Parts: sequence; C-alpha cells; structure tokens
Amino acid sequence: MIEHRDDQIERDVLAAMGRPGAGWWIALATSALFFFGGLILWGYQIFRGLGVAGINNPVGWGVYIANFVFWVGIAHSGTLISAVLFLFRARFRSSFNRAAEAMTVIALMTAGLFPLIHLGRVWVFYYLLPYPNERQLWVNFRSPLIWDVFAVTTYMIVSAVFFYVGMLPDLAVARRRLGGIRSRIFRVLSLGWRGTLRQWHHYGKLYILLAAFATPLVASVHSIVSWDFAMSIVPGWHTTIFAPYFVAGAILSGTAMVITLVAPMRRILKLEAYITPAHFESIAKILLLTSLIVSYSYIVEYALAFYGDQPPEAGQFSYRALGDYRVFFWAMILFNSVLPLSLFIKQLRLNIRYLFVLSLFVNIGMWLERFVLIVSALAHEYEPYAWGTYSPSFVEIGITLGSFGLFFSLYLLFLKTLPVLSITELKEHQP
Amino acid sequence: MKRRNFLKMMGLLSGSGLASACKPEGSKTFISYLVPPEDAVTPGESSWHPSTCMECPAHCGVLVKMRDGWPIKLEGLPGHPISDGGLCIRGQASITRLYHPERLRQPMAKNEQGQFEPVSWEQAFERIATALDEAGDAGERSRFFSGRTTGALRQLKEQCCRALGIRCEAEFELYGHRALRQSWQLLQGREAVPRYQLESCDFLLSLGTDFLDTGLSPVDYTAQITRLKDRPGSLWWHLGPEASLSSLGAQRTLRLRAGSEQMLLLFVLQQTAPHAKRSLPAELFTTLPAPALAEVAEATGLASAQLEELILRLSKAEAPLLITGGAALEGESGLLLAVLTALIQYSQGALGTSVNLSDGEDFASVAELHEMQDWMNPPGVQEKTGLVLVSQCNLLHDLPEGGEAVRSIETARLRIGMGDVPNETMLQMDLLLPLSHPLECWGETRPRAGTLSLHRPLLPPLFDSRGQGDLLLDLMRIRGKIGVPDSYELMLTDQWMAELGETGRHELLKTGFIALPVAQQSTELQLEALLPLLNQTTPNPPPSGLRLMIVPSLRTFDGRSRPLALLQEIPDPLSTVSYGACVSISPGLARSRSLSDRDLVELRWGSGSIRLAVKIQPGLDDTTLMVTRDALDRLPHRQSESGGLLLGSIPVELRPTGQSSETLAILSGSASQQGRGLIPMEGKLEHELSHSLYPPHSHEPYRWAMVIDLDRCTGCSSCVASCYVENNIPITGQQEHLNGREMSWLRIEPYYDETGNHFLPMLCQHCHNAPCETVCPVNATYHNPDGLNVQVYNRCVGTRYCSNNCPYKVRRFNWFKAQWPSPEDKRLNPDLLVRGRGIMEKCTFCLQRIRAAKEDAKARGRRVNDGEFTTACAQSCPAKAIVFGNLLDPDSEVARLSLDERAFRVFEALGTEPSVYYLRKKAPG
Repeated sequence: MIEHRDDQIERDVLAAMGRPGAGWWIALATSALFFFGGLILWGYQIFRGLGVAGINNPVGWGVYIANFVFWVGIAHSGTLISAVLFLFRARFRSSFNRAAEAMTVIALMTAGLFPLIHLGRVWVFYYLLPYPNERQLWVNFRSPLIWDVFAVTTYMIVSAVFFYVGMLPDLAVARRRLGGIRSRIFRVLSLGWRGTLRQWHHYGKLYILLAAFATPLVASVHSIVSWDFAMSIVPGWHTTIFAPYFVAGAILSGTAMVITLVAPMRRILKLEAYITPAHFESIAKILLLTSLIVSYSYIVEYALAFYGDQPPEAGQFSYRALGDYRVFFWAMILFNSVLPLSLFIKQLRLNIRYLFVLSLFVNIGMWLERFVLIVSALAHEYEPYAWGTYSPSFVEIGITLGSFGLFFSLYLLFLKTLPVLSITELKEHQP
Repeated sequence: MKRRNFLKMMGLLSGSGLASACKPEGSKTFISYLVPPEDAVTPGESSWHPSTCMECPAHCGVLVKMRDGWPIKLEGLPGHPISDGGLCIRGQASITRLYHPERLRQPMAKNEQGQFEPVSWEQAFERIATALDEAGDAGERSRFFSGRTTGALRQLKEQCCRALGIRCEAEFELYGHRALRQSWQLLQGREAVPRYQLESCDFLLSLGTDFLDTGLSPVDYTAQITRLKDRPGSLWWHLGPEASLSSLGAQRTLRLRAGSEQMLLLFVLQQTAPHAKRSLPAELFTTLPAPALAEVAEATGLASAQLEELILRLSKAEAPLLITGGAALEGESGLLLAVLTALIQYSQGALGTSVNLSDGEDFASVAELHEMQDWMNPPGVQEKTGLVLVSQCNLLHDLPEGGEAVRSIETARLRIGMGDVPNETMLQMDLLLPLSHPLECWGETRPRAGTLSLHRPLLPPLFDSRGQGDLLLDLMRIRGKIGVPDSYELMLTDQWMAELGETGRHELLKTGFIALPVAQQSTELQLEALLPLLNQTTPNPPPSGLRLMIVPSLRTFDGRSRPLALLQEIPDPLSTVSYGACVSISPGLARSRSLSDRDLVELRWGSGSIRLAVKIQPGLDDTTLMVTRDALDRLPHRQSESGGLLLGSIPVELRPTGQSSETLAILSGSASQQGRGLIPMEGKLEHELSHSLYPPHSHEPYRWAMVIDLDRCTGCSSCVASCYVENNIPITGQQEHLNGREMSWLRIEPYYDETGNHFLPMLCQHCHNAPCETVCPVNATYHNPDGLNVQVYNRCVGTRYCSNNCPYKVRRFNWFKAQWPSPEDKRLNPDLLVRGRGIMEKCTFCLQRIRAAKEDAKARGRRVNDGEFTTACAQSCPAKAIVFGNLLDPDSEVARLSLDERAFRVFEALGTEPSVYYLRKKAPG
C-alpha cells in the first residue's frame, strides 16, 4: 500500500516535469522578452550614463534600490518556510518548501543585479570587494553597503546549498524515473545518492545543521539591508526600529509571493492533492502576523517622529503622508495593513482565490513601501532649498519589468527542470 | 663600398658621435633667460595680467589668469578704482564669451537666399566702399549706431564717421540713466551721472534703486555698502515695490506701491525742509504740491507711523543720503523723480560730499530722452538711408517697431553689424564684421571721469576677427590711408604718451589702470530753469490696479549677456529660477488669485500681451508684478507725449490660463527655512567636539576653514560664477535643471522668513565628522590631514550614498559625460580634472590653490601665511563676505572670525562639525 502511494507521489511530482505545453512556452517567451528588454536598457544606461534614469539631486536612490530591497525581501520566505519551519517541525512546510527555496535563490539572483545596475561606474564594481591589491586599497568596513555585500553573498550561498542539499534524494528519484539525457544530468547532480541508511543518516544531520545555520540569516540579512537606511542620518531612515520592521516586511512580502507563485502552480501542475487549502491557511496566518507587525512599525515610526520634536523628522513624516507621494503611501497602508486584516476570517484564509488576489496586493504594497520609504525620505531631507521630487524614467521602469522577466523566466525553468515538491518529505508525511 | 670600408666609416661615425655627446662636468645646469621674452609662455605655469571687463557699462578691472597661452579665469583686480578686487557674476562669466562656440568666426555676408556666407575682409570693405559711393551719389544719409563707448574709442568713432561722411548717432544704451542725467542738466547745466559716496553718509535711503545688482556699477557699490555697514551707527533703509538684492539686503525695507514714488518724494522734500542743511527757495515749496500724511500713506501703502519715522530719521541724521534709481527713474515721471531726489540731496547737504558729479559714470555720448524720442517716433519725411552700421547694441530688439531708427535700418541700402556673438539685430544685417574679445585686442576705457583702464591682447584672436579700434581704422582707410594711424595700438600709445607721459604710460601698462585728474564741481543749483518744470507738476493720481515692472536682470543685464550659457545655468538668487522666463508675483497676490509656482498667466497691457509662468517672490509688493528685461521679446512702448522707452512700471492685467509651464526650472525646494533654524537667530557657537565612535583627526599644521558673513553677503552670485569657471564645472542645460541635476558646487540659497531674509551661500561644509565619509563603501571620500573632506574621483564607483547622507546636499553626481565643445575646452583649468561620468564631485575648497600655496611656501621654507591665497569664491566676492584660511593659526582672520559672537554653523545639532562658519546678520543700527 505504502509503496503504491510512494509510487503515486513520485509519478505525480515528476509528471509536473513533463513536456511543457504551449502556455508554458508563451509565458517563458514573454518573461524572457521582458528580461532581454531590461538588459538592453541596462546596456543603454551603461553606455550613456546613469542620467538616463530618473534619479537626481536630492533623490540619489530610486526604483533600483526599491527593487533591490523588494527582491531581497521576496527571498526571505524561502529560508523562513524551509529552515525555520523545519526546525519547528511545521508539517505544512513540505507543500511549499521547494517552491519557496527556488524562489529564494531566484529572487536573490535578481536582487543581486540591482546594486550593480545602480552604480555610476558598474565597470569598476570589483572595488566593492575586499580583494588584495598592490596599492593596499581596502573597502570601507564602516559602510553599510559593504555589510550588504557580505550579508547578501552569505545568504545567497547558504540558500543555494540548502536548496541543493534538500533536493538530493529527489534528484535521485528523478534520475531513476526519467530517461534520456535528463537521467544522465540527474546522475551527475544527485552525487551518487543511493538512499542507503548511512546516506540518510548524514543527510538528516546536514539538513538540520544547514537549517540551524540559515535561521539566523533570516533575521540578519534583512536587518543589514535595513541598515543601509538606518545607519544614515536621513530623517525617515535613521531609526532603530528598522531591523525588525524590515524583517517583518520581508517575510510579509515573501509569504505573499509564495502564495502568488504556488496558487497557480498547484492548479496548473495538478498538485491539489499535495498542496491543500489547509496548507494555504497556515501560510496566510504567517502573512497576517507579519502584516500586523509591519502595521505596528508604521505606527511606531509616526509616533516617534512626532514625539521627538525634531522638525526635519516630523516634516519628513507629514510629507510622506501628505506630500508628493501620498497616493503611494496610502495605497501602501491599504495593501499592507488594511486588506490583510481580512485574514482574521477563516473562510477567507481557506479561499485560495482570495488569497491569490490578496497576495498580489500585498506584493504591490510592499514594493510601494520601499519606494515611499526611499524616495520620500530623500526628497525632503534637512535642507529645504535642496528639496526635490523624483519620478522614474522609462529606463528604470523597463529594467524593473526586466527584473520580473528574469525572475519569472528562471522560475518557469525551475518548474520544468526540477521536482517542484519535496518527494522525500511527502512520502515521510503521508498518513 | 667594401665591407671593410663600411665598417671603418661606421666606427668613425659612432666614435665621433659618442665623443661629441660627452660634456664636461657642470654643464648640466639650466641657464635661464637674462631678460625673459615678454610674451613667453612657460608651460605649466600661470601668469596674471591686468585687463578690463567690458561685459557691462561698469568696466571693472580684472586680472586674467593665463595658462599655456590661454586665458582661463578672470579675477577682480585689487586696487582698481572701480572694482578693487571684486568681480560680479557677469564679469566672471565674460571669459566664456571669448570661447563662445557661436562667435562670428569671419566676416559674413547675406546672399540672395538670406543666408549668411563667409567673405574675406577685403570683400567686405569693398562692398562697404561701393555702397558708400552709391549712397553718396544718391544723396542718401548714412548712420552709425553703437553701444556706449568712452575715451579714445569714442573719438576714433567720430573721426571715422567724419572721414566716411557717416552721421555718428548718439549711442544706444537701454539703461542709459537718461532721467538722472537730464535732471542734472536742468539743475547744474551739465549732464552727469553722479557718483555716490555711500561711506560718507550715516543714513542711506535708497528708493527703488538696484545698485547692488545691475545699477551704475554693482561691484563698486556693493563694496561701498559693505563699508557703510561696517561703520558703527550707520543705517540703510530701502523703499520700493520690487524685490531686488538691495531691497533684501537693506537693514530695513518698506514696501512701496509702484507709481507712488513721486508722492513720497514730494512728501519727503516738504517735510524735511525745516531741518534742511541747505535751504531751497521758498517759492519752490509753494510751487510744489504738499501732500498730506494720510494721502501719502494711502498712495504708498505705508503706515503713517513708518512715514513719520522715515522723516524723523532723515531729519536726525547728520549726513543722510537719498538715492533714487532703478525702474522708478525709467518710468513716465522719471525726470521729475530725479529732480526731486536731487533737490532733497541738495537740501540735506549731500551734494559735493556723498553725491559727486565730477567723477560719475561717463554716459555723455549716450542718447538722451529727446534723441530716444526722435528714434522712436514714426519717421516724418521718408528719407532713404544709405549705409547703416550697428556696433555692439541690439537696436532692433530694444526699440519699437515702426519707429524712425528701426525703419531707417530696415530700409537701408547696406546694413552692417559688428559684434561677437550675433544678436537679434545682427541677424537682420547684410554684412557682419566680427569683433575681437577685449582679451584679444588693444583698447582703453574711461568709464568714469578720472579712471583710465586698459585691455590688451593676451592671445592672438581665436578667429578672423578685429578689435573695434582697428576695425574703425580699417573703415577709415576706405577713403584714403593718409593720416590714418597704422594700428589702434600705435594710436593709443601716442595718445597715452601725450596725455600721461612716459612714466604714466608705463604705470598704465603695468597696473592696467591709472587715475586721471578730475575737475572740481560746483555744488550750487540753478533753480530758475527748474521752476517752470515744477510749476506744471501735479501729483500723479494714486496708482490703482496691478503694475508690471520691467527690470534689468542680474544675470543678463539688459539682455546683452544672454548668449553666455553659464549665466543661464546659475539661478537668479532671488527667484532661484535658472532656465525659463517667469513673472514674479507676491505671495499675497498668489493667494488672492490662487496661483502657484509655474502656473501660466497672461499679462495684458495697452498694446500687447505675453504668457509667462508665475514664480512667487516674497518681498514683492502685492500690487506689483516683476519681469526681467530678457523675459520679454519686445518691450512695451509708450507712444505718449514723451515717447521714451518705457522701462518703468506699467498698468497691467493678469489673467490665469489654467495651464502650467513645464519648462521653468526653479531650483529652490522651499523659500522658507521651515522652522529648521538653518540660520539660528541667537545662541553662541559651542566649540566642543561631539562624541564620536572614531578617534579624532589630527591636523598639523593646517586645518582649512571658511567664514561667510551673511551680513555682508548680498546674494550677487559672483562666487558661484567664479566657482564654475575655476573648477571646470560643466553646464548641464535646461532639461537637466528640470530633472534636478544642476552641478553647482556652491549655490546661493534665499530664505524668506519672519525672522528676516537671508542669502545663505551653501557649499561643501568639509565636516569634521562627515556623514558622507562613513557610508562610502570604497573609501572614495575621506578626511585629509588638512581637515578637508576630499573626493577621490578614481576610486568612486557612484553609489551616491554619500550624497544621500549629506545633510547639506552639496554633492553633485556626474549623470552624463560633460561636453566641452571647441573652443570652450581651451578655458578648462589644467590644475584639476575634468570629471568623467558616474562619479561624485563637490566643492574642494579650491584644493588646487591650496596645493599651489603649500608648494610655494615649502620652496621658501616656511608655512603658508594667512591671506597669501584664497579660494575662487572668496576672491571674487565684491562684499568680501568670504574669508578662507587656516583655523589652527590663532592669528588668522578665519580663526578670529570663527570666535565671533555672530558665528554659527548650519545644523550644529547634527554634530557634523562643519569647517564652514557663518556670521549671522548684525542687528541694525
């Protein structure tokens, strides 16, 4: 009986890797088109100068950095769902963990491009790395941007290793079940996995070790990303609440993105049996919790600004709510704080369609949060003469769409090349 | 040749070559010239030469910095009687006229298709000769119009006209101080522009005058105002409807309704009569109307108490001085205002002490009111014109269509334009003759009686152009070479020899200027001639409705400096508008008409209308709208009795269009300090290092710092222009300004608050605890041992984090590669880099000058002395508001001023410890 079920799981999961339909091809072509469009625009920007973007004085960072923070945030839930929930033995994680981990790695790859895209001289990006050189020039270890380089690289490596290690037994299944060239590729990739007791023993040890190792990164990476802002003296950025606020925001956007990706995937790849509304409900609870934390942070920010009796700080926060970017601000409040409150209703938590729509709003809201936070703070800093406004140029919009193109292209490739659910764990958890 | 012979020969040749290359010990020393050739260029070394700035009629002295044969920077000439070391924004920018890409490069003639094509000088002269002959045969009159000239050039121009049989017309200056000159013609029988000695008064009352920005001689009067303010007990009040550097710089400003000046002056004259130091005939007072206090208060919009205080101050002051000027004198009742002012000056004993008629600006040859009338009235008899020569003025742009002068130019047989960058008038001509820049040719100027200033060629003409003097001589040669000097240089030399003698001439050549004896003036008035004029005086009806004031622009004066891109790039200090034309309206008017910045409005007056964008300008009267001359295509003209040019204020209607301009670049984000206390009104600077995680910097022996005195700063923006030229700051253009990407390292921030109006020059503060330094990931910006916050361009990767974290927002990012089209690239300062794209830059405290001074001091085996060098901004400042030096030297001016009780630093509470100290305004009186 159990063997039969195992067989069923393997077949179901690997069926998702079958010959792609026209829909997949169209989706991939569209995504790739956006991605290449973005690449061309990036080339244009390198060739002409950063002036083709809309950023200016005083708004030196715009959509590019918003995208960076957004994608790093998306990358967060992968580790959260995989590592943290693994440590907490939360069973529903097995429905999501592979998709979430893939999303993490892909989002990080996308995010990592933006610090390069926003550089004035990208051709000397290696100055940002502490490499030994004859002039003994080192990077500035006091700069949060350098911490960023380390934090994001570490997170990228750990996430990739975690993703790969967790996939090893599944790759072996794929090697066994699939034929042709794919079998040969998976033979190499599965590193000679045979499923012996000894291997399972090592696997379990390594997996829990990596999970334990990755867990603090959930907190650290986005804390450090938040310090890009908090360590500055810009009113609206310089606040101690930023680390937890950003981590909560990252998890909020990450869970929303998981829902956005998994809800259609479940349907298209016919995995309804394995990813149930109950699983979605658990994710929705995380979303609700982090939304409440984020809302709390919004309130604390405002309370501090007006309690502090600092005209630039108070000025910044009234500008945020009433100034040039007020529409974005109130949209952000609506999408991130108000709409998720509906998840207190259990029926809605169980309604996958509703969750999907809500997750789209939260995604937009979280992108807007980064935009509002970055742009409105820079637009109205200390010096009133230097106040200005910013609106993104077609290059910035194009490159942003290109990053979505890259993300979805890679995700679509993932869907058809690797097992999208953890076969091992599904087998483990079957009744 | 045999091989053996070949080898022998080679041996001999190489041996002798080696032997001859050997030199005895000791011959390695370089031998310098015993007498270096006068025009020698030492590569890599700068030399300084005196010259004269001819950008506006003030003619300030300049020092030209030459490098490798190219003039690269102008500075004020210390000791010059007019400018004494200062230079204004236009003067600083005038170097860019030399390298202007659109300068005429050779003579051009219009062909049948109306296109200009190059011709040779010979062809041009031939054409002129033929046309002269034809005009002579036809009995047509030829005319020579020119901008203002002085001294030898004026004489030569008259000679040339005589030789060619051309009528030498009065010279054209849009702002020709006509009312002022004619008032003294009436009162003293000789027309003169007075020179005011501001220092010798104790209460200065300026009425509508713009002597700090564009008036008679801005650099001179700015320096004088500084000295006046330094005098204890002195006071400066300003009255006027407009917002100008004067109205914002005065210790007290009373806002007056435009058009009510006459009423006010009558009131002042009548009220101060009992306390007059010199009495005026009693019949004068009976002839003149005596408006009552309430009437004046109503008309001027001032409170009765203010008027009473004004009269009290005037009566109490020992040496009061009233100056009227600016738009008020250009209006309909300008002459009467000038006469009333002169009467008040006389009665208060200012004539001969603080009002000097003998050494004022020389405008003697400039068209007077009646000549302007002749030009502007429609022609009486239609008379064919032969030749018309127009030199260095923009008649067709400034005079009304259909007037006599314009018609005669339009219908002339041959029209010849002379100038450098073609203006609207030149483009209408048939033949264009390129003039050399003053730095390319010989010339002298006598802007004031008693001052002779020269300019001479410092480089051969860049293009096939000729100096105005040489060109006039060439024209004279058309009618025979006999008696015509070989060159203008020889002519000037002979003249100087005759006038100054050998020593005087040498002195002139060495220093660039010389003082000439001045005839003493009479201090009496001829009142008899005046009474008939005053008899007809009836006070103007109190003005009603909105009035439009047309004022000269600080940046382009009467429009002549419009071609200089640098002056478009630097914002007007009052409105902070760089590109785009606008009309300034008061905040009160904006509120009542619900207008905001950039809204397009239509202005209508008698004969015309214009659509302009609105800029809200604090400090302006609620019934007054203000535009600069260059915002209008054509001037509104008066066809009434006097027929003069209407440059004063005119009644106007304002109609909102509901649209908004997208091309008006306003650089200021806020006109108010927003309660952030950038300029704290009280509190003493605490010199206590704030707590820091990092060890303190050590600075031995130098820590460079700057002190800026806000009491002296008039906002004239000369420092900004100087900084642009010195530091190779690129000009980005209108679109980039609209995008918020100006590149200025130094800017003038106007703040209008209840606590007062301020101009705050903002530049890199070279913070001791610099927020930019900690955040740069690659250490591209760091603190150097001299206390400077330096930017390493090569290391910068362009994250712009430093700029985000700078509370003063003084860092500038190179969004694109800067363009320096030929020949503008020649004026680049070789002492510093031209920055590439993608990197950050900012004020360096003129690091190149610091290095030069340090190296020089090192070669002399000592430290840099205080005042030995200064930054470009400080050098140019006419008010000497900027002081630069070593803070560690307790005797330095900077160290002394930084301990002044007025000293403060911007955003002291942030703990950035800036190296730029500001001195807040003094309490008046």
